[in-house]
Amino acid sequence: MTHLSDGQRDTRIRFSDLVAQPRRVLTTPTWSAVINKGRAYSPFTLNVEELVPWRTLTGRQHFYLDHENYLEWGEHLPTYKPRPDHTMLSETEISANEAQGRLLNYITPHGKWSIHSTYSENIRMKTLSRGGYPVWLNDKEAAEMDIKDNDWVELFNDNGVFVQRCITSARIPRGTVFVYHATERTVGIPISPLRQKRAGMNNSITRTRLKPVLMSGGYGQFTYSFNYWGPTGVNRDTFVYVRKIDKPSY
Amino acid sequence: MNVRAHMSMLFHLDKCIGCHTCSVACKNLWTDRKGAEYMWWNNVETRPGTGYPTGWEDQDHYRGGWEKNWVGIELKLQSKPKAIANLFYNPALPELDDYYEPFTFRYEDLFNAPESKHQPTAVPISAITGDPIDIESGPNWDDDLSGSTIYAANDPNLEGVSEEVRQQMGEIERVVFNYLPRICNHCLNPACVAACPSGAIYKRGEDGVVLVNEDECRAWRMCVSACPYKKVYYNWSTGKSEKCILCFPRMETGQAPACAHSCVGRIRYMGVLLYDADLIKWAAEGPDDEMFDRQKEIILDPFDPAVIKAAKENGIDDGWIDSAQQSPVYKFVKVWNMAVPLHAEYRTLAMMFYIPPLSPVVSTIEEGLVRLDIPRERVDFELFNSLEKARLPIQYLANLFSGGNEEVIEKILRKMLAVRIYKRRESVEGIIDDATLAMVESADTTPEEIEAIYRLTTLPTIAERFVYPPYHREMAAEAIYGDPLARKGDVGFGYIMPPERGP
Repeated sequence: MTHLSDGQRDTRIRFSDLVAQPRRVLTTPTWSAVINKGRAYSPFTLNVEELVPWRTLTGRQHFYLDHENYLEWGEHLPTYKPRPDHTMLSETEISANEAQGRLLNYITPHGKWSIHSTYSENIRMKTLSRGGYPVWLNDKEAAEMDIKDNDWVELFNDNGVFVQRCITSARIPRGTVFVYHATERTVGIPISPLRQKRAGMNNSITRTRLKPVLMSGGYGQFTYSFNYWGPTGVNRDTFVYVRKIDKPSY
Repeated sequence: MNVRAHMSMLFHLDKCIGCHTCSVACKNLWTDRKGAEYMWWNNVETRPGTGYPTGWEDQDHYRGGWEKNWVGIELKLQSKPKAIANLFYNPALPELDDYYEPFTFRYEDLFNAPESKHQPTAVPISAITGDPIDIESGPNWDDDLSGSTIYAANDPNLEGVSEEVRQQMGEIERVVFNYLPRICNHCLNPACVAACPSGAIYKRGEDGVVLVNEDECRAWRMCVSACPYKKVYYNWSTGKSEKCILCFPRMETGQAPACAHSCVGRIRYMGVLLYDADLIKWAAEGPDDEMFDRQKEIILDPFDPAVIKAAKENGIDDGWIDSAQQSPVYKFVKVWNMAVPLHAEYRTLAMMFYIPPLSPVVSTIEEGLVRLDIPRERVDFELFNSLEKARLPIQYLANLFSGGNEEVIEKILRKMLAVRIYKRRESVEGIIDDATLAMVESADTTPEEIEAIYRLTTLPTIAERFVYPPYHREMAAEAIYGDPLARKGDVGFGYIMPPERGP
């Protein structure tokens, strides 16, 4: 596969280039896309075009994982699992007595407006996304909590607090509160009325838990490699209390 | 026959993902200036929704566009005598709050804030006054907010959609939305041009781009009120009106407008349309339900020898005629009959065209299994025979594009579905049966046409999407200045003379 580096051996990226704008890197054998000649990143093109076996036990793509840890935890096939009960997490017990609010399942999926934390707080993206990091609530549930669209809301639990304005929408299922993940803590973050400190970002109310199956190793694709395969922080999902607040101060 | 050429853009809404890259490209290029902060020459709306400026389609309020009466057509804003009497009175003008108060953040506080027990934060401030503000609106305020009782439910295009369907559109299982990118429509019968008391707005002869002469503009702002699309904006700093210029400096150098060039979903196409300028009046004065048919009729066939002859007599360059023959916009609009302008009933003869979006199929749960919510005997062709089941009501799309004419929209959606079903049968099942061929025929198309539509929809190269005529600016410069390089490097948005304003 040395031909993949043809014409690229003289590529140099200087520090000033990186400061100016992000740069594409060379086609690498550890990722799976051929990106030569400006081709857009598309996963597994390397495998398909260069006949590189997938780096799995069978050399093919897997949906089924027959490792005994996965079997034992019921993670061998991607199937529906009900959300865990909030008492299992014990991240809301202290807060339960602290203030009124409704206990909701808090989820933080990938953002529409950013790649992780990149570029979300510049003036363009802030202008297109309501000037903040809105909290999405089910419209009917919000009405029951006396919350109107664009009201300030406070999300809190034993881990921390998040204060932003809200969007009420029929697109969010009841029982759920939704924030795009990887918000910054730099722009328009008010003081939390409850905790009397600068409110946090989306991960201030989640906490890292190690997923046990990710600690299995030495088995086909389950082989540790830095930033590639290993135990990750599972911190996208928890329970929070949600309550309406008056306009907070900065 | 008075043949003229027009640069037109086509938006394939079925491909739009609502990423707003077009808006950002346009904003960075043209309106990142004092006085222009609130302007989005290109914006993307979530529909159903109220858009930007809020409720711009409510012409009872904003009084944009033309209306038909006993004299023919007249500006909805005011008659000619009234225009003189009311020169200093323009109550239909949108206010800043109808757009939004532009804001920024005191980013410098992140570095300069005095020591405090709290981490510093950049507070939101008005981009106009510099004072702290509560952000209450924006140019994309109802982004992805279909189903909202505050925004989507107030979309005027839902008129005529049954109460039951409207209720359903507010439920999570039935919510549906599409994105609507909008730029200036560079109309053939532009209301902004007609309304300008100073004669400062004109439509360029060579390509139909509608421009504001910044030197002539006297800030009457009648163009802002008269434009039914609200695509002329008033710069509060210079005291001049501004609008989308279709990136003419880019087009003149063979590049697509920034919005089209940056489009991630590759939904935009550009090309030349030839039209008969003698028939504009006839088309603009047509009955409501014939508006689009008449507009289509004045778009001419670039392969017709009579049209070519008349075009040459009007001084249209061979390169332009050739370009008109290659034009993807001509194919979609006139050959394949798949595109419609936005709100044909405004009578401005908008020259930017849209292919309406298809809807997801409505499914239902039966005996624990999901099945399509359409009659069993029709399941073969999904929505093809059950368009009334489409999640995005046909009436809604008809109100948005064809002045309420549902038949126009149904024909287009059927053809799009025919392409999808035919290609799926071909690639998945490997066989085209008689039933499929009958379906294709009933969609008023052929396998050959389907293949051509498929290729231009999904596989076009950038050169097939954007077909540019040679502008020959060097010849124009030579004719005027005697030196082809006289105005080299002069393109761009700005002022040759600084605007004169009082204290």
